[in-house]
Amino acid sequence: MTEQIKLSELLDQIQDTIQTRFDGEVFWIEAQIMNVKKQAQNRRCYLTLEEYENGNKTADARGVFWANNYNQIENFEKVTKQIFKDGINIICKVRVRYHKVYGLNLDIIQIDLAHTLGTLELERQQTLERLVKENPKTIQLFDGVYKTLNNRLPLPLVIGKIALITAPNSDGQRDFQQEIKLNKHQYTFSVSEFLTTIQGDNAHKLILEQLKLIEKSNENFDVVAIVRGGGSQTDFKPFDDYELAKCVAHFPFPIFTGIGHDRNQSIVDLMAREQKTPTKVASLFVERNFEFENKLIELKTNLFDLVKEQLENAKEELNNAKRIVKLSSPQAILDRGFAIITINDKIITDPKDIEDKSELQTLLRNEIIFSTVIKKTKNEK
Amino acid sequence: MKNELTYSEAFSKLEDLVEQLEDGNIQLDKLSTKVKQANELIAICESKLRSIDAEIKVATKATPTRQKKKNGS
Repeated sequence: MTEQIKLSELLDQIQDTIQTRFDGEVFWIEAQIMNVKKQAQNRRCYLTLEEYENGNKTADARGVFWANNYNQIENFEKVTKQIFKDGINIICKVRVRYHKVYGLNLDIIQIDLAHTLGTLELERQQTLERLVKENPKTIQLFDGVYKTLNNRLPLPLVIGKIALITAPNSDGQRDFQQEIKLNKHQYTFSVSEFLTTIQGDNAHKLILEQLKLIEKSNENFDVVAIVRGGGSQTDFKPFDDYELAKCVAHFPFPIFTGIGHDRNQSIVDLMAREQKTPTKVASLFVERNFEFENKLIELKTNLFDLVKEQLENAKEELNNAKRIVKLSSPQAILDRGFAIITINDKIITDPKDIEDKSELQTLLRNEIIFSTVIKKTKNEK
Repeated sequence: MKNELTYSEAFSKLEDLVEQLEDGNIQLDKLSTKVKQANELIAICESKLRSIDAEIKVATKATPTRQKKKNGS
């Protein structure tokens, strides 16, 4: 009978061998994460690290974040604006550990955020390039700014009818509605809500569906607002989706985004008009109407001032005319002590018309003097 | 004198007359006529101006003028 040892003895040897070989060593590896099971309560995360070549799996190992490294996941989600979930490619620092009950595990100590950000940025750039290349007439890049059919649509002077895409009972919905309803100028808006999930794997499709609903509703909306509350862990990816971005770029009503982030812009932001938060989008609508009202008040004031001025001018001109007419009446001339000399009822203004022996009538206020000219000399005064 | 003259037409005729009066080269009998005409035109203009003034006052009252708003008011 061959010599046999207990399983635990064999596994002890394996453990010893592995420990001797890998003790204290760490490795940076690149892998795709799958079967991610986050246990936020006890701050652990179990997953598998996998590698593929031409679609075939070529390596697979269990990985785990222990409580002291769980903040790596939180940090990852915060910085990359991406949920730590199945299918993501990461580079991480691991330590090899073998346990005779739990088997081989890779303890994940650190995630290389720069790599993930780089990958995301690369994907983002590729989507942006594709948008411009496949829609050359409607999406153009000028000096780093994306000009789209949508963000070039003129804004109505007054905003009244708003289509709001947001998640039900979310911070974004509450903040937006509050700013609109309690606006300090007491303007009234009509807000039609198009509610949907705005985070997660299918969010881009769901938002797209809501946009189609708005388009099909035959309502003449002044603007569309897509808002999402900040503060929570935000998944940025839906807003970098090609189809959603393309739809936004071509949408017939001006779209404003307030999807609660401050690090950089999503592609949808670039295709539309971007405000950082739901509150800012709502307050922009209020301000737009406020500006219009002020212009209106200014115009009205100017109009009344101009009319008043014109009327005053007309009165003054008429009074001048009245004064001149009054002074010109023959009686007024005589009343002021002047005399009017006439020959045959024609007023004489030129002495040349008077000759020796001319018969003059001198009109005074109450009398007419008839006389004959006996001498004419120059008035030397 | 036609009553259906507009204010501008009446005033334009008045201005012509005033210009002639200022020149002073008018026969005495014509002077009286011109002054009379001028006074009729003045009456027309004054009447029109008064009714325009009243109409504007009504229009201004119909749309109460709000003070220009300041942000935060």
